[in-house]
Amino acid sequence: MTQDQEKTVLDLVTNPPLGSDLAKAKEFGIDLTLFIATLRRTPTERARSLSEGARIFQVAKQIQRK
Amino acid sequence: MVIGGAAMGLQGSAYLTKDIDFCYARTPANIERLANALQPFHPVLRGAPADLPFRFDAKTIAQGLNFTLSTDLGDLDFLGEVSGLGSFQEVLAESDVRTVGVVDCRVLSLEGLIKSKIAAGRPRDLYVLPELRGLSQVKKKAGVE
Repeated sequence: MTQDQEKTVLDLVTNPPLGSDLAKAKEFGIDLTLFIATLRRTPTERARSLSEGARIFQVAKQIQRK
Repeated sequence: MVIGGAAMGLQGSAYLTKDIDFCYARTPANIERLANALQPFHPVLRGAPADLPFRFDAKTIAQGLNFTLSTDLGDLDFLGEVSGLGSFQEVLAESDVRTVGVVDCRVLSLEGLIKSKIAAGRPRDLYVLPELRGLSQVKKKAGVE
């Protein structure tokens, strides 16, 4: 993300336009600030993050089995 | 092509998933390629009894459609069709190319994900819609991939 893009994302997630999908997501309980972190990542970094998430599920499953 | 929760993650969602879903082309050549590609990773039907005979070969794939597998790589699901979109060719039209490492991957677009989640209509699908719609809006407005 460029600095300009990051600024736009920050503006949108902190002040979602009234009645917009972003505002509805916030109302629903979505933490919009997470978009700043996820969109800052490249697809490769997002894939790595998914893989780490999958590993957490795996560890939790192993603990549950014990 | 990557679909489902993994596609959501690759498109920028904070959603976590433990399996990776793929939509695959059901041409004889691709079915053969899929069987050969998975064979070294010992695919078995997820949740099936360990002694249930199962071979993920071209014949099995041709006779089925959707497969939920456990493999040495983790849990992988292969779908011949996606709800609300159709078969591989229709899903392909709703995909983006994302570079993951050194590989260019076809990934279901946010619009495609939204259509498929609406069509699937299960509570867990509808639950992610507000995030997907919000994410789609922010990406469009900021011009982020």
